[in-house]
Amino acid sequence: MRNLLNFLTRYNNLIVFLVLEGIALYIISTGNSYQNSRLLNAVKGVTRGIEQKIYNTSSYLSLREINERLAMQNVALKNRLEQMVRKENPVFFSVQDSVYKQEYQHTSGEVIDNSINRQKNFFTINKGELQGIKVDMAVISPDGVAGKIVGCSKDYSVAMSLLNIDFKLSARIKSNGYYGSLGWDGRDYRYAILSEIPQHVNVSIGDTIEATGFSAIFPEGIVVGTVSDYEKVGGDFYKIRVSITTDFKKLHFVDVIGNMKKKEQLDLEKLFK
Amino acid sequence: MINTVLRFGLIFILLVLLQVLLFNNIQFSGYINPYVYIMFILLLPIEIPSWLLLILSFTIGMIIDFFSGSPGVHTFATVLSGFVRPYVIRVVSPKDGYESGSEPSMVNYGFRWFFSYTLLIVLIHHTSLFYLEVFRFTDFFRTLFRVILSTIFSVTFILLIEYYRRGKN
Repeated sequence: MRNLLNFLTRYNNLIVFLVLEGIALYIISTGNSYQNSRLLNAVKGVTRGIEQKIYNTSSYLSLREINERLAMQNVALKNRLEQMVRKENPVFFSVQDSVYKQEYQHTSGEVIDNSINRQKNFFTINKGELQGIKVDMAVISPDGVAGKIVGCSKDYSVAMSLLNIDFKLSARIKSNGYYGSLGWDGRDYRYAILSEIPQHVNVSIGDTIEATGFSAIFPEGIVVGTVSDYEKVGGDFYKIRVSITTDFKKLHFVDVIGNMKKKEQLDLEKLFK
Repeated sequence: MINTVLRFGLIFILLVLLQVLLFNNIQFSGYINPYVYIMFILLLPIEIPSWLLLILSFTIGMIIDFFSGSPGVHTFATVLSGFVRPYVIRVVSPKDGYESGSEPSMVNYGFRWFFSYTLLIVLIHHTSLFYLEVFRFTDFFRTLFRVILSTIFSVTFILLIEYYRRGKN
């Protein structure tokens, strides 16, 4: 009789255990995939107030450095603008002309929560749907690629960091145009891996790696990093270690970029797939 | 009874705050992520009913998940830890057994007992947590390396906190 009771109590606990683990697994399977970012958003909503407070205090301490970086970025942008204005003769520029239709729309934001120590890192930006942010927009820092938006609430959005083992980006070597797939291997927050570059291609250390724009998320030519070293893997391809230009430990001001012609591109591509 | 509930409520809140505000912000090259909140499961009274232990484990896992933005992962690991705790307690039992109504602490059963008890549960917790977080078996050994390094740090911090507690009692 006592044995039976013992058995029953143990069995009871097993049932409770299995039910609770079942709930946990259910949450993992529905919530962890980045396409389904609703739960992530709800989760972030609870802690956002605290995060904003911590962020406010810590950002105050690095204002001087941030100012310098913004000033440098301003100078670079002014220079580019100068070149653009020279090139296009404003007399013949027609606003109605669809050829000159603006393709990318920029929104600036601040990173209020970030991590680099997990395998799947996300960061939170203080702009959301009300400011025109949508899922699948690109996020770049002044130095290069930072991530892409995976979920938005009214005033905030969550972005999948480049430092996320699920993040994939089509990138190419700037000097010769050969492209491959770029992702993070989960090791060092300063390096990403560019694969699928064939071995007959000339690669040299220090080459710039930039986004291709194939995915219609990142504008063409956004810098990702520079080649740090490379090795041959398998028979055919290089595995190139890319030193990321964005410093994720200092990620602060970012640009969110929406592709206004994305739907057009995807709709057309869909016809042939 | 109410005293005990209040005391563990306080421990619960303190450990969650410590984890979320301090240890979650330690960003040390991605290899060292100490999870000290698991200490709550370690400290609960030895004779706590298993179902209550499981539900408390579930609760603290959910709360840590909320603050870390990692839905479900911590919950799974903590419920597993809560489930194996009675077995671990049986395995590491001291020579003259456990006193009834006692709590698993360094004061009661000594450093060596507390160390092996902590090590076993933290190891189980971290292993399930890190492999579930990555959710793939490529890079098996690198994840193992992360488990081991983080376990060393978590156990060290837990022992330090426990040592401090002993000084106060």
